[in-house]
Amino acid sequence: MPFGYHGCYLRIDVSRGSVERVPLADAVLRQFIGGSGLGVRLLLDAGCAHLDPLDPEAPLVFAFSPLVGSPLTTSAKFAVVSKSPLTDRINDSLASSGFAIAGKSCGCDALVIVGRAHELSVLVIDDGLVRVEPAAECAGKTCQATEAELRSRLGASFRIAAIGPAGERLVRYATISHDGRHAGRGGSGAVLGAKNIKAIALRGTQRAEWAHPRELTAISKDLSKRSFGPATEKYRDLGTATNLLTFNRFGALPTRNFQSGTFDEAESLSPEQLSTTRAKTRDSCVACTIGCEHIYAVGDDGHVRVEYESLFALGSLCGIGDADVVLRASQRCDELGLDTISTGGTIAFAMECVERGWLDEPWLTFGSGAALLHAIELIGSRHGLGHLLADGSRRAAHAIGHDSIAIAPQVKGLEMPGYEPRALQTMALGFAVGARGADHNRSGAYEVDFSDKVDRRHVTLDAVRHAIDTEDRAALMDSLIICKFLRGVFDDFHAEAAAMLQSVTGWDVTAGELRETATRIVAAKRQFNLLAGWTPAEDTLPERFLNTPLPNDAAAHLSLERLDALVAEYHRQRGW
Amino acid sequence: MHVEFLGVPRERAGVAELDVQADTLGRLLGTLAAQMPALAELIAVDRLHPSLVASLNGDRFISDPGTPLGDDDCVLILSADAGG
Ligand code: SF4
Repeated sequence: MPFGYHGCYLRIDVSRGSVERVPLADAVLRQFIGGSGLGVRLLLDAGCAHLDPLDPEAPLVFAFSPLVGSPLTTSAKFAVVSKSPLTDRINDSLASSGFAIAGKSCGCDALVIVGRAHELSVLVIDDGLVRVEPAAECAGKTCQATEAELRSRLGASFRIAAIGPAGERLVRYATISHDGRHAGRGGSGAVLGAKNIKAIALRGTQRAEWAHPRELTAISKDLSKRSFGPATEKYRDLGTATNLLTFNRFGALPTRNFQSGTFDEAESLSPEQLSTTRAKTRDSCVACTIGCEHIYAVGDDGHVRVEYESLFALGSLCGIGDADVVLRASQRCDELGLDTISTGGTIAFAMECVERGWLDEPWLTFGSGAALLHAIELIGSRHGLGHLLADGSRRAAHAIGHDSIAIAPQVKGLEMPGYEPRALQTMALGFAVGARGADHNRSGAYEVDFSDKVDRRHVTLDAVRHAIDTEDRAALMDSLIICKFLRGVFDDFHAEAAAMLQSVTGWDVTAGELRETATRIVAAKRQFNLLAGWTPAEDTLPERFLNTPLPNDAAAHLSLERLDALVAEYHRQRGW
Repeated sequence: MHVEFLGVPRERAGVAELDVQADTLGRLLGTLAAQMPALAELIAVDRLHPSLVASLNGDRFISDPGTPLGDDDCVLILSADAGG
């Protein structure tokens, strides 16, 4: 067994409450590292790509990493990997903090959960010993209330990841929440809900040894020092929310279900404005020196972490500029355990369907805060219209008809994050080819658009290799795992990542090997998708983006021909 | 010519926008560094620190200090890490 690992995963069948400790070969760990990479590999080994993701036998993987528990800043993260009930394709979501450290301390490198508990339950893993306990008293409770309830029942030393009411009701974009952070995209909360597991509580004492602790400490100190520099200032000072005014200025802020790239009320939602009108505190994940979390007061005594993606999805995308409403909506999504991007995207889609007369729900109009908040409640409970919207915009479009799929803001079923693809065309490619659908965490192609490497509104085939680079780098960061907000800190990311991995594992790993590893992980995701039924026709964008220029920017025009050429070149360069 | 600051550069500049006389990007950055000490920390003579980028009129990103600027141009200065 290499340093930095326990060399096994726990296969837990919650139907029977049984656990099996399965060895992990050194070669597999070296080839897939941990996090997303290891999770995908375990799913491939399980031969489950054909299963309905909500089938009890469909595995849900929690994958830890060699770096978690080390002094490396931002390394306290875990990946949740499964087939997505929203896309029916691979899904890997990351979350942070004590759950990652506690999970690794249970003496394993991953949990693979299958089966379905007989009643709503909590899966307890106590230093590697597993039991399934009834959790009926948590039924219908929010993510936060569930964590609090179980911590008081089991003890403060447990770290808990929970689903909210949305996960229990199998909303296809339900999250798994830990300590206020969410494994957010793609519906892993519904996969856990389908297993009748409300929460996972774990604690442990088993530490993986590091190969070269002195070197690791030196690397960690240096990285922490650099993490205080200008490359992360944006995250420390304003958080990701500062994107809002930047994107608005570039005509790239999705507004009213992608009918515009600018929003007149953007200023009122910006962190620059929010911080002048309400109390704000800062926080960070465990073991992070950056601290990108900006937490704003909402209502009389509430608070909410404010991220760009939530502001855009529940704000401009729904035409809502009232900050109180948007923050309350974001807070409510956190409580119910809903992915804010898919929630906002699906509601905005429904609002446009109402506007076009395709959906007879006259109350659901752009700009109505009351409608947004009501729709979120309906989705969380699957009541009325919420039952349709809980399945996401793609399935809703198929039910609504009228060719509404052309305006459903999704790729492979995953609602698009806050990047207008006609104004950011390298990102358009990243969205189209993304293994888990439209996604800004698995492709950083927008960085290319915000550089002098391309003309963002007329990208050529030259953009493809840059898009591939960002996708590969993301796959590596998500497998090591370290936070992407560190990316600007590195002078030579692959060389520095190799040094980190060497000091933890003792492997003679090089930058070149890590480049190959990243490519392997991206290919493994594609392999899963192929087995799940992927076809080339899925690597595209909704029609709206291919036949309508942005109203506010005629230069932002992306044709089907151009996107097809980019996608074909992407496949060619990937060797697929 | 006109300059707009977004995000961190706006915080450091202390203003959202201003008018400046400059005929190249390098001269513009030199002028800004002289006027704005907090921003000067992120300007090395006539170039931006890698954590910042400049866009000409929102159309294209520019980094060459010799890039000519006209009276009607608008330079946007923002964080390089535009996404998240
Ligand atoms: S930068 Fe933000 S998301 Fe990343 S580890 Fe730190 S607090 Fe967590």
